Order: sequence, then C-alpha cells, then structure tokens
Amino acid sequence: MDKKEIIEKLKNIVKPFIKNQEAFDNLTEKTDFITDLQINSANLVDVILDIEEEFDIVIDNESMERMVDVKSALEIIETQLSKK
Amino acid sequence: MIGNDIVDLALAEKESNWKRKGFLDKIFTQNEQLIISKAENPTIMVWNLWSRKEAAYKIYNRKTQIRGYFPLQLECFDLEIIKGFTFGKVIIKDCIYFTKTEITRQFINTIAVEKVNDFEAIKILENRKNIQKKNGIPEYFENNILSKKPVSISHHGRFEQIITL
Repeated sequence: MDKKEIIEKLKNIVKPFIKNQEAFDNLTEKTDFITDLQINSANLVDVILDIEEEFDIVIDNESMERMVDVKSALEIIETQLSKK
Repeated sequence: MIGNDIVDLALAEKESNWKRKGFLDKIFTQNEQLIISKAENPTIMVWNLWSRKEAAYKIYNRKTQIRGYFPLQLECFDLEIIKGFTFGKVIIKDCIYFTKTEITRQFINTIAVEKVNDFEAIKILENRKNIQKKNGIPEYFENNILSKKPVSISHHGRFEQIITL
C-alpha cells in the first residue's frame, strides 16, 4: 500500500469526526487532528480504533501517544504494515 | 495553573459509543473501568472520568509543554461527593491534580487545580475579551500586559466555559 492510498483511507476514517471542513479539504501531512481538523479528543479514540480495523493492525499505547497529526499517523500505520 | 473541561451529554451520546469494543481499554485504566462497571449510571461515569482527565491534562500540558494523546497515563482516584459536587484527584507521573466536577442532566463540567485552595479563587469569565493565546495556551490580561493570569477554555456542543484564577 503506498502513502497516497494510506492517506485516502485515513481521510475516509477521520471524515465523520471533523469540525473544520476547510482544513480537511486542504489536508497535508502537517495537519493536526485536534487543532486543525478540530476532532473532539474523545473521538480520537474512535479514529484510532477505526485505523486498527481498516488496516488490520494494533496501535499500542506508546504509538497512540503520538497520534495527534497526519504525519505521526502515517508513520505508525506504515511501521505496523511493514511488520505484517 | 488551572484546567477545565465540559461535556455536552447530548452531543456525547450522539457522537460517541463508549460501549464499542476496545474503547474503554484505550482510555481508562483497570481501576477506572472497575469504577465505571460498578456505577449506577455507567454512561455518566464514563464522561465524568473523561472530563477529569481532560481538565488535568490541560494543566499538565501547560506546565510541561508535553502534547500527546495519553489518557491511560492520567488516572482518576479518590472520588468523593461533597455538597453535590464530586471531588477527586488525577495522577500523572509524579504530579497530582485536584478536580471538582459538576454533573447535571445536560452537561458534565470539571475544573482541575494544582492546589486544593485554588478552587475558592476560580472565576468564570463571560467572554473572550482580554484573552490572548501564546503557543496555543490562553492567558488573561485583566488591566495591562503585566498582570497576566492563566485561563482555560472548554467548548463542547451547546456549552462553553472560560475560567481564570
């Protein structure tokens, strides 16, 4: 799976939880889930669970701590996928 | 330092399903899950504990400048009810913060402080006038630039609360 595919899947996952459409439309690796997309912090756990299901990976607590922006999410997903 | 968090219960009901597989394990410790399972109203307890963690995280984030998503590192304990408010403490690493939580039918609101006496000094601000953000953290300038005070803003659904010390 290449980076572009991962980003597309990630966009579909976060879409139901975003509160800032403009930031979503202009999403880059620098986009922050909370400050830019304004995802509620209680919904960030839904995003993480959806990522686990979609990519069939496990996100441990250490990885979850960094899961606040697109860049970190991509790194974590790519690392876990490479272990499969 | 202070931190607050407000949960609009109607919005939480609509947007979150805490009964979803894996949800509780990702954000609540074993002890907290035990408190939730024993609660008369588990849904209220989920948002009660969540708002405590969020309010405490705001203090921790301000003091350490550490930003991240680590709800399991913040653990609620010593829950007790005094005059309609539920009090408690939240521990993260070697820091302990004091929390005061108001639970109504519409919302749950927690204020967290570093010193228990600070609860008496908390003031509620009506609007964002004289509030400026520095590195994403808000401060309140009452009279002039020299008298800045810590501020915490929480907004969820129908509710917003701004507090200062």
